[in-house]
Amino acid sequence: MSARRHMGKVKTFSGGTHPPGSKDLSSSRAIERLPAPELVRVPLCQHLGAPSKPLVKKGDSVTRGQEVGEQNGFISLPTHSPVSGTVVKVEDAPMPHRRSGPSVLIRTESEEGGRVFEPWDEFRAHSPEEIIERIKNAGVCGMGGASFPTYVKLSPPPGKEIDTLILNGVECEPYLTADHRLMLEQGEDVILGMEMLAYALGVENPVIGIEVNKPDAIEHMESLGATVVPLKVKYPQGAEKQLIDAHTGREVPAGGLPLDVGVVVQNVGTAKAVVQAVRDGMPTMERVVTVTGRGINNPSNFLVQVGTPFSDLVEAAGGYADDVVRLINGGPMMGIAQYTDDVPVIKGTSGVLALSSAEARESAETPCIRCGKCVDACPMRLAPSLIARSAEYEQWEQAEKQGALNCMACGTCSYICPSGRYLVHYIKRAQEMIRALKKKEA
Amino acid sequence: MAESRTFELAMSPHVEGPKTTRKVMTDVVIALLPAAAAAVYFFGLRALLLVVLSVAAAMAAEYLCLKFMKRPVSFALDGSAAVTGILLAFNVPSSVPWWIPILGSAFAIVVGKQAFGGIGHNIVNPALLGRAFLVASFPVLMTAGWPAPSGYSGGTWPTSGISQERLAEIPGADAISGATPLNVMKQTFDEEGMETRMGEGAPERVREELSSPSTYWNLLVGKIGGCLGETSGILLILGAAYLVARGVLEIRLPLSYLGTIALLGWVWGGAGWFDGDPLFHILAGGVLLGGFYMISDMVTTPVTKKGRIIFGIGAGVITMVIRRWGGYPEGCSYSILLMNLVTPLIDRYTKPRALGEVRQDG
Repeated sequence: MSARRHMGKVKTFSGGTHPPGSKDLSSSRAIERLPAPELVRVPLCQHLGAPSKPLVKKGDSVTRGQEVGEQNGFISLPTHSPVSGTVVKVEDAPMPHRRSGPSVLIRTESEEGGRVFEPWDEFRAHSPEEIIERIKNAGVCGMGGASFPTYVKLSPPPGKEIDTLILNGVECEPYLTADHRLMLEQGEDVILGMEMLAYALGVENPVIGIEVNKPDAIEHMESLGATVVPLKVKYPQGAEKQLIDAHTGREVPAGGLPLDVGVVVQNVGTAKAVVQAVRDGMPTMERVVTVTGRGINNPSNFLVQVGTPFSDLVEAAGGYADDVVRLINGGPMMGIAQYTDDVPVIKGTSGVLALSSAEARESAETPCIRCGKCVDACPMRLAPSLIARSAEYEQWEQAEKQGALNCMACGTCSYICPSGRYLVHYIKRAQEMIRALKKKEA
Repeated sequence: MAESRTFELAMSPHVEGPKTTRKVMTDVVIALLPAAAAAVYFFGLRALLLVVLSVAAAMAAEYLCLKFMKRPVSFALDGSAAVTGILLAFNVPSSVPWWIPILGSAFAIVVGKQAFGGIGHNIVNPALLGRAFLVASFPVLMTAGWPAPSGYSGGTWPTSGISQERLAEIPGADAISGATPLNVMKQTFDEEGMETRMGEGAPERVREELSSPSTYWNLLVGKIGGCLGETSGILLILGAAYLVARGVLEIRLPLSYLGTIALLGWVWGGAGWFDGDPLFHILAGGVLLGGFYMISDMVTTPVTKKGRIIFGIGAGVITMVIRRWGGYPEGCSYSILLMNLVTPLIDRYTKPRALGEVRQDG
């Protein structure tokens, strides 16, 4: 059952790169539950889409699991309080994934309870529609980072037939080990969640994709009866379209969604959240976060309540090393640099990464020497250097023709670029301008 | 609650790969060292002097241009100017006066590179442009005298690659003893002229000699006349293998180029159609130098895989047209210069099909 056994049939996609994994910093650290902080800042904008509308005001007392923000549109979710306590303020505050956003600041009195829905011991006694409704009401969103509302992914428009569910245990971002630990320590729940998702979608034989650098996780999941798809260690193996390509050979159409090719991909952390929602009757209020990097004294994996400030996580992980320069929400390839560590953990925070000066990329950029490495490596098979050049000269139409909108900003091109060019930045700028121009035309 | 602190902001990704422009250029320099050593071995210390002068001139020109344009002068040390300097020196015969590589390198950098905006922005290979400038300005110095490699006592070393004993068997062969292999090959295309000078049946005999194992051997080790860098085939291949292993040279470029040369060498590189010698056409002249080290200039070659193949085939066709029907014995450098010009166009029309993209044109 070792990784070696799989070597002959590991699947992958074309392109990609091999950044050092750096996962051994935290991969052997078991998940440790952190107590909720004195003050919890619950963001109302944790999911992709419209922020939830606040349901509480200053002075209100709330209980754990109580809905403090209601769903506000189709692509939106309700938000729940991870603690019992008193609302201090409803205000805009700095966020780890955007400049700022609405939040509810709560003074913690207790972190007991949280069971606000009826626990369903036998999920198959309920209809798929009921399960999906529960997943929506519990505020479950993608825990891999993009935070797309999970119930939307489970509700394909009529005519779209879903035949494949891939559970994403790839965790291709360097440094991060939260999903790895979750599979090792709570494998049963992960598999139960996968079965619930498959049931909701009407899909037989769901699979779980894991990179072969986690042989213990592959072995464990297989011993629990899951069908594992071993995948080559290559970034970005866990990107949705690349994972689908590797496993099914189907290409998600440009500008389309996985459900256009009959596939749904869900993160292993999402599966766990689904189990909590359906079996335990608890909304999504906590998650596993890897606190790591050589800028951290004691890298760890923590189970934390949403709304806990990054600074608390770092303190629990032994504090910063002396040469820390950069703090990131997420992994090093796609994560977002933070100005302050006074930002709350959100449902999509898979990691809090503190990079030392030796690890962090330098900002010096030199002209493109047209080596073509980015073209060879782009997992979307674009020509990043050419799009970036169009963007530099503000030739937005040309950038669009070159496929700028297909870029998912995975960072592979910038990573391997010998000239240290911020290709992702140029291409993202082109995307914004192209979309703005289209809006203007329409 | 822990005290908060602040950090630097930056765009993702937050880590960087191992390669830098400087490392890439250093790899190219390392790959060129064996051939440079061969040049010194065969042509003496004068070859070393020419290389050093050329590199120094290229870097000085780069520095002065950057200074004049108020750009960071650190670019002069990124290794790209040094590569241009070496390549230019590799493209001159060892007999040229000392100022030739200086003039050529300076022209290559100032007109071929900095005038277009410096590293990354030049349209054509600067070293090849410098060479073209020298050939056009000083044709006699650049092509007339092909000094034989040193190390041979007892007269002139046969720069044609044909061994001395064999040459003695060909009546009137003195006419070709001082020429490069491609000069000799070119002469055989004029069968009547050669027979007039060297007697009946001479073209066949010469062709036979050019395709003999001993000639191949001389071409491989470098016992032939020619420019500094194009003597030793085996060391050029060695350096190229290093570049491929280091991921600096994308194998599609040299394979498509040399493959086309071999194919067309067979098709029209001999006396009639389909009886040429592919191996001779690859080993002789500058195609190993050009096919590995000029084509590996990333700035002036396509970034797409398909584009690189088209570039190699195009340059191969042009090289062989010049070799067979052109006014020069060798067409390597012009073929690459011409293909450099269409590189942006090639890139444009070989855009890879994006994942999930449906071709508009079917």
